[in-house]
Amino acid sequence: MHSSQTFTAFMTKVAIVHVAVLLLLVGASRSYGAADQQALSAEETYKLGERMYREGILPSGEPMQAFVSGDVPVSGTSFTCVSCHLRSGLGSIEGEVSTPPANGRILYLPREPYIKGYEHVPSYHNYAVYFPTRPAYTDDTLAELITSGVDPAGRSVIKAMPIYDLNDQDMAILIAYLKTLSAQPSPGVSDSEIKFATVIVEGTDPVAVASMLAPLEFGIARKNSLTTASSANDRVARMGYNMLGPDLLQKKFSLTRWVLKGPSSTWRSQLDAYYQAEPVFALLGGISAGDWEPVHRFCEENQIPDLLPIVDYPVISDHDWYTLYFSRGVRQEGESAARYLHGMYDLIKDRAIVQVSRDSREGRALADGFRATWADTGHPAAIDIVLKEGEQFSQQRLQQIITELKPAALIVWDDGAALEAFAGLPDMADRPGVILASGTFVGKALWTIPEQLRGLLSFTYPYRLPQDDIRFDALALKVLPGKKTSDYDQKIIRQSYITNELLGKALMDMRGEYYRDFFFDTIGMMPDAYYPLYERVGFGPGQRYASKGCFIVQLGKGENPQLERRSEWVTR
Amino acid sequence: MMVQRLTRMPRIFTILLAILLMAGSDAGASKYKRSIENVVIPDVVLVNQQGEKVRLKSLLESDQPVLVDFIYATCTTICPILSAGFANFQRELGPETKNARLVSITIDPENDTPAAMKEYLERYQAQPGWDFLTGSRQDVDRVMKAFNAYFRSKMDHQPLSFIRSQEDGKWIRLYGLMSSSDLMKEFQQRGGK
Repeated sequence: MHSSQTFTAFMTKVAIVHVAVLLLLVGASRSYGAADQQALSAEETYKLGERMYREGILPSGEPMQAFVSGDVPVSGTSFTCVSCHLRSGLGSIEGEVSTPPANGRILYLPREPYIKGYEHVPSYHNYAVYFPTRPAYTDDTLAELITSGVDPAGRSVIKAMPIYDLNDQDMAILIAYLKTLSAQPSPGVSDSEIKFATVIVEGTDPVAVASMLAPLEFGIARKNSLTTASSANDRVARMGYNMLGPDLLQKKFSLTRWVLKGPSSTWRSQLDAYYQAEPVFALLGGISAGDWEPVHRFCEENQIPDLLPIVDYPVISDHDWYTLYFSRGVRQEGESAARYLHGMYDLIKDRAIVQVSRDSREGRALADGFRATWADTGHPAAIDIVLKEGEQFSQQRLQQIITELKPAALIVWDDGAALEAFAGLPDMADRPGVILASGTFVGKALWTIPEQLRGLLSFTYPYRLPQDDIRFDALALKVLPGKKTSDYDQKIIRQSYITNELLGKALMDMRGEYYRDFFFDTIGMMPDAYYPLYERVGFGPGQRYASKGCFIVQLGKGENPQLERRSEWVTR
Repeated sequence: MMVQRLTRMPRIFTILLAILLMAGSDAGASKYKRSIENVVIPDVVLVNQQGEKVRLKSLLESDQPVLVDFIYATCTTICPILSAGFANFQRELGPETKNARLVSITIDPENDTPAAMKEYLERYQAQPGWDFLTGSRQDVDRVMKAFNAYFRSKMDHQPLSFIRSQEDGKWIRLYGLMSSSDLMKEFQQRGGK
C-alpha cells in the first residue's frame, strides 16, 4: 500500500502526465448499460452486483479496492456499500453521519429540499432538508461519483464515502444492482393497507397466545381508529398528518393469524399456503413453546421479516437476516453463566467445574450455551453429568458429586424439584463456592428457597429484576384497556408490548418507503432502549438478538424476599 | 481488452483530477477538531479479543505512544472509517508498528464478545499491537466518560480518536473523520502543543 504522501505524489504525477490525454477524451461517452454485460444473464448480473454491494467482492473474486477519507486505502471486504447504505439501499443515520439512499429509483431523480407530497410533515421535512439538493444522476454521473467521489452538483463526498477503482464492466454490474434495490414495492402493501400476519403454533397455551396477541391487536386497532377518525375530523386529521404523514395515515393495518397444525415437518407447506393466499408485508410476533426453525427458514427464504416471535429456542445464526428475536432464548442463560464464572476464574483456577443438566430441550439448550461460551474462554471443559428422564437430582447425588469431584463451581440445569437436593447444603463439607441454576427453569420454586440456602444458591435471570420493573407496569399494561391484567401472562404481555412499540416507531421512521429490508434496516439503526421486562434492549445493523444480558441473582432475606443482583446485566 | 482500457481511462483521470483540484481547496479536505486533554484512566479490567483480562490503566499508561478510539463491531458508518484509518496507520508504520499501541474500545459491550471483536480485527487485517476491548456496561461507561466520549446509545456516537504522548501523559483529542496523513501527522507531533 502507498503511504499517504506516496499516494498524493503518485496521483499528482499520473494526473499531470495524463491531463492532455484527458482533454482529448473529454466528451467521449461511455455506456454502463446492457451492452457491457452481454456475456451475463440478468440473474448473474444481479448476483455479482449483490456480492459487490454486500461483500465488497468484485466479479473476478478479488476484493474491491477503495480509498476513504481522501487517502485511507480500504479493502471492500472490510467495508463496502452495504455498510452505510444498508441492505435496502435506503441509507442510514448514525451519530453525526447520515448516508443518503443509493438505490436507482431515488438516485435517478433530482434531490429536492422536500419529499413530494410530504412537504409539511415535520419528520419528512427534517430528513429532506438534511441532504443538499442535486440533479438526477445518470449512469455516467453515478459512475463518476463512485470512482471520483464527486456528485452531479460538483460536491466532493470523499470525506465519508470511499472512492472505488472499478472497470467498466464491474461498474455496469454495480449500477445495474443499485437499480434493483428497493425498486419494486414489497408485497402486502397497497395504497390503503399494510397486511401483517402472526404465526401461532397450535397447542400453545391459550393464555400465552392471548397475551401475545393483545398488544398487537391493541396497536393495530388504535392505528386503524386514527385512520377512520381522521377522515371525519379535521383536527384528528391534522394530528395524524403531523405524526404519520398522509400516506401512513391513510393506510389501515390488518393482522391475520396463521395457525400451524401437526408436526413441525409439515409447517413449511402450511406457511407457503397461507402466504400464497395472502402475501403479507411482515410477520409480527408469533408464538411457539417448542420448535420455530421452519418459520425462521420460511422467512429467510421468502425474505419476509418476522418481528420478535415469542420463542424459547430461536435459531442461532450470525448471518441470517429476516427474524429479529428478543434474545438467544434459554441458551443465553447458559452463556451468561459461563461468562460469570469466567469473571471469577481466579477463585476457581485448576479445580473442577461440574455441569449437571436435565436431558430435556431446556436442559440441553442451557448446557450447550454454557459449554460453547466456556470453550470460547479457553478454560478446560466442565465435567458434564446428564440427568435422564425420570432421574431425580437428589441429595445423595449432590453429596456424591461433592465428595468425588470436589467442584469449585456446580451448575445445575434442572427444574424446581432439583432444589430439594440442596436442603442439607449448609452442613456439607467441601461444598462448591458457586452453585448456579436457571431462574427460568426452576420457575416459581425460586421464590420458595429456604432462608439458609439463599446465600448459597445463585440463579441466571434474563430479565430486569421485578422490583425494578414495576415502574414500567403502567406503560406495559396500557395495552389491556378494560381487561383483567391477571388473565394474561405478564412476561409475554411485556414482550408483545415491545413488538408493538417497535412496529410503530419503525413505520414512522420509514418515510413511506415500505420495503421489507428497510423495515429491519430501520430497526437496526434505532438507539438502545429501555422497555419493560429487559434491562436494556439493543439493536444495531445486522444484530438479531435484542436483549443480550442476564443477571446472576440470589433470593434476598425475609418473608417477602426480593431478588438481589450478584452481577451486572452484561459480564465479559 | 484495448477497447475496455481506452473507455476506462477518462474515469481514472477524472479521479486524479478531482483529487488534485480538491487538494487546492477545502472540498474533501480532512476537517477535524483538535484539543489537548488530561484523562484520568479509570482502574477497570476489560477483556480483549482473545478473551484475556486487561487492566486498562496498565495498557494505556505504558512507555509506548497509544492511540484510542471508540467503536463497535456492527457499526455502519463511523467505525469502519476509523478502523480503516487504524489499519492503514499500522501499514504505514510498517515494522515500526510495534512502537505504537492501538486500542479500540467497544461502545456496544452487549454485542461485542471477544469472538466478535476478533473477527472484526481480522476483517481489517489488524497487526499485533491493535487490541479491541469490551467489558461490563458499567466499566465501558466509566471509560467513555473519562475520555469525555460518553454516548448513551451507540447510535449517537461520534468520530473520536485519542493519541497519548508517553512523554507527558497528555492526550490529543481528535474529533472528526481523519485522513491517513492527518492521523500520521498528529501521531508524529504528539507531545507538542
